[in-house]
Amino acid sequence: MTRSLTILPALTLAFVLSAGVAYAQAIRIGVNEPLTGPFAASGTYVVNGARIAADEINAKGGVLGKKLELVVEDNKSNPTEAAAVAEKLITSDKTPVLMGAWGSSLTLAVMPKLADYETPMLVETSSSGKITTSGNPYVFRISPPSALEAEAFAPMVEKLGLKKVDFLAINNDWGRGAAADFGKMLKGKGVTVGLVETMDQGAQDMSAQLSKLKGSDADTLLITAAVDQLTLLFKQMAALGLKKRIITTGGSQNPDQIIAQAGTAAEGTMHLTTFLPWYPEKTPNPAATAYFIAEWKKRGFEFAGVTESFRGYDGIRTIAAAIEKGGGTDAASIRKGFWSVDLTGLNGPVRFAKAGPAGSESGQSKPDVYLVKIDGGKVVVPEL
Amino acid sequence: MTEFLQHLLNTLVLGGTYALLGIGLTLIFGIMNVVNFTHGALYTVGAYVMYLAVTALGLGFFAALPTAILGGLLLGAILDLALLRPLRGADMDTTMLVMIGAGIVLQSGTLWLFGGVAKSIPTPFPDAPLQLGGVSVSWLRLFVLSAALALIGLTYWLINRTRLGLAMRATFQDHDTAALMGVNVRLIYTATFAIGSSLAAAAGALLGPVYVVFPQMGGMAELKAFAIVILGGLGNVTGAAIGGFILALAEELGAGYISSGYRDAMGFLIIIAVLIFKPTGLFAKAERIG
Amino acid sequence: MNQHLPALALLAALVAVPLALGNEPYLLNALITTGIVTIAAMSLNLLLGFTGQLSLGHIAFFGIGAYVSALTSLGFDVEVFGGLRVVHEPWPPVVGFGLAVLATAACGYLVGRLSFRVRGAYFVIVTISFAEVVRLVALNWVELTQGPLALTGIPPFSLWLPGLGTTTLRTKLQNYYLVLVVGTLCYVLIARLVRSRFGRAMRGLKENESLALSVGINATRTLTLAAVISAAMAGAAGSLYAHYLRIIDPDVFLFSTTVTMVIMVVGGGKGTLLGPVVGGLIFGLLPVALRPVMVPEAQWMVFGLVLIVIQFVMPRGIVPGLVRFATRRRASAPASVPVEVRP
Repeated sequence: MTRSLTILPALTLAFVLSAGVAYAQAIRIGVNEPLTGPFAASGTYVVNGARIAADEINAKGGVLGKKLELVVEDNKSNPTEAAAVAEKLITSDKTPVLMGAWGSSLTLAVMPKLADYETPMLVETSSSGKITTSGNPYVFRISPPSALEAEAFAPMVEKLGLKKVDFLAINNDWGRGAAADFGKMLKGKGVTVGLVETMDQGAQDMSAQLSKLKGSDADTLLITAAVDQLTLLFKQMAALGLKKRIITTGGSQNPDQIIAQAGTAAEGTMHLTTFLPWYPEKTPNPAATAYFIAEWKKRGFEFAGVTESFRGYDGIRTIAAAIEKGGGTDAASIRKGFWSVDLTGLNGPVRFAKAGPAGSESGQSKPDVYLVKIDGGKVVVPEL
Repeated sequence: MTEFLQHLLNTLVLGGTYALLGIGLTLIFGIMNVVNFTHGALYTVGAYVMYLAVTALGLGFFAALPTAILGGLLLGAILDLALLRPLRGADMDTTMLVMIGAGIVLQSGTLWLFGGVAKSIPTPFPDAPLQLGGVSVSWLRLFVLSAALALIGLTYWLINRTRLGLAMRATFQDHDTAALMGVNVRLIYTATFAIGSSLAAAAGALLGPVYVVFPQMGGMAELKAFAIVILGGLGNVTGAAIGGFILALAEELGAGYISSGYRDAMGFLIIIAVLIFKPTGLFAKAERIG
Repeated sequence: MNQHLPALALLAALVAVPLALGNEPYLLNALITTGIVTIAAMSLNLLLGFTGQLSLGHIAFFGIGAYVSALTSLGFDVEVFGGLRVVHEPWPPVVGFGLAVLATAACGYLVGRLSFRVRGAYFVIVTISFAEVVRLVALNWVELTQGPLALTGIPPFSLWLPGLGTTTLRTKLQNYYLVLVVGTLCYVLIARLVRSRFGRAMRGLKENESLALSVGINATRTLTLAAVISAAMAGAAGSLYAHYLRIIDPDVFLFSTTVTMVIMVVGGGKGTLLGPVVGGLIFGLLPVALRPVMVPEAQWMVFGLVLIVIQFVMPRGIVPGLVRFATRRRASAPASVPVEVRP
């Protein structure tokens, strides 16, 4: 009896071992994204964008003569799971480079694993400042940290005539970081910062917070949240009759999805975004934007997703460039390669500048930031 | 003052659906002595049937609601016939574990079928709210409240005015005697479980359009239903109805004046407080089981 | 001695597993996390199997242990009522482990007292609520717990070993043996406990409470003591978890982990010593084996189905089933594992 019981785990292990043997031919890229949980919609878009880039690169012959293979894992929108997924991708799937992990708290949870296993990761979405200032030299980020986003927004503050601003932010590194960075920038511009309300990342009913914000005398409400929660917020604002200038930050708003799901409740809201798919000719790389959008539509995905998915597309292209520049398929070469990446992404040049404490700097690229407005059920770039 | 009135109005809307959830759970417990750990999953299923009926089947919002309720009724009957009937007479722990297993299968099944991305159900109601002085309420939420009240009324009528209800009440009081008097107890059990399940599905179908629909939505709903039922006293239908509104009030005021993060904690604090100070529930009529 | 043979053979096999595997980090990782949850399942068995109290909030003790241990070793600076600041400088993880055990024992005392007040469905619901309240506190008391941002950078255990000096347990291999040692200690403790007078009192209460009371068994004391020991062990497992993963977030309190533990206990055989260990190994490693062949949501469906099927075909679990099979084949041989006998 005992013998058969102890053989069982050993068999299981042998089975898993055989499944975990790394391929020699393809270059495996680990993709660590939220495919379930509160951020599922966004993570799924990013993965689909990443697949377009991988297919495009492979159709052109791959990198260093080898095909790219994406190993996609779900981190369930949970930090502990994100760390476990990173460990699994690095140790079991032997991926020499990762992309992920969408949310700031998720990325921060993964970062110690990168240092443990000396594996670089491209950060495509997260915007907490801590990611590039904590001295992790394996992190390369193409999305703007909220301080950079706030800096890009600074010239618009006077043109919009902001006097007093309240914040409503998702209760995690992303939301709290954005509220802090934007608050600092606004105070520097002489704007009063009023209430700072938070909401749980899975919260569905925000009417209590909104009732409170409705009673405040601020002229503008700055919101940091992902698209699903924004949709609910706009509907609940309409239901409460809350009418203020709304500006959302963080670049995960998918204005088209908001228009489709919140309808007239989203009318007049403004959004800071890092991509202008509605006006491909105004983007830094019109040809690439047009190709990406055409391919996205061809695959039957909703247009609304491109404001998320372009980051997955740019992320994989950046990783491919890093592999090319580094000249090897091992983690160390790819990490070295990141520093000489120079390509024009869909939202500006991708070039990594050093950020964080000297000696262990992370890489930070500086993308463009745009303010768009929902006007008459369409996305427009307001004249300021 | 308007903020307070607004909170009260929100309470009414939320309380109606909470009451539905609680009544369904308490019926099943009172009559069958089963703690229904599939209640949350049935709530989720109700919301997804509503979503499918509106989007894929194109049934229209008002036809979709009865479809979802019917879906809950059917699924409840199947669960009872497949799992509970063979286990009748087994100890309570066994039934609880089986129901937990069934809940997991249903929840992960929805996740598997529909994916983790939240869905939103389109409604025919205008976005502009109804203004009542300083407070406002959306037409959708008003509809949800009226539908919930109508369903609560229907359940009362069923229990107190029909032959089925009479048999249910007889089984509740003493199932052996009821069986001797010619009540088909097995059938009553199936009917009870199906009705309780349909109420959970109705709550999901009503709240689905207000928020969004996602596979894990039932988890918290189930825990809230437990809180409501304990508050009202296990097996007490009127207690559950009132308990639903009390929980909604506690949540709304807690979120508004204490901290929005502890909104969901209110239910559990109520459970713990009730069990320490008045373990039979606030409106005890039924015998305490245990 | 004969009755300990299966347990000793299993222990020997577990000691040998890493030697056979080599240093394969992913598999060791799966074994370590499985081992930690198995310790928690063993502690749950004390309540669920030996006293018959269906505690579905067991994850609360595990999570409290993890948070207490992590915060002790990380330090904190929080404001409590009336502007009073509580500042704590980081202490070594081993102290955190000790405090985790003490804190969860205290929580176990409360739940034990409660289990005497409310029984049956009420007890089940109140234990679930307890775990949920603790989770919401961990989620919302951001100043202390970092809330959904997760507690990161938790230091690994450092142990002073004779002849080796102080060693920091950074490698998977070291952590594997640490978990194995703690698990073995818990096993021995439970084994001695259930064979003692106290163990007989526990089982007496479970089989026939009024009879047990009439022969002078103090129900409150017995149930409370069982809850205290059970909670302390779950807290120890939580501490191991925190210092091994070095990151914890409020999702450590999720109901699904309790369900996993329950499946381990009832699947392996509740009320037996080896049951939770065998169940823990099987259901802990099952997801690892299923991962290449099915998506996680399908895996969970399998778990749910297993829970249902076990109740129907093997309500007493795998170990009692195997023991019965073995004793039937060797008709004269005595049962090698103590099995609770149900009327």
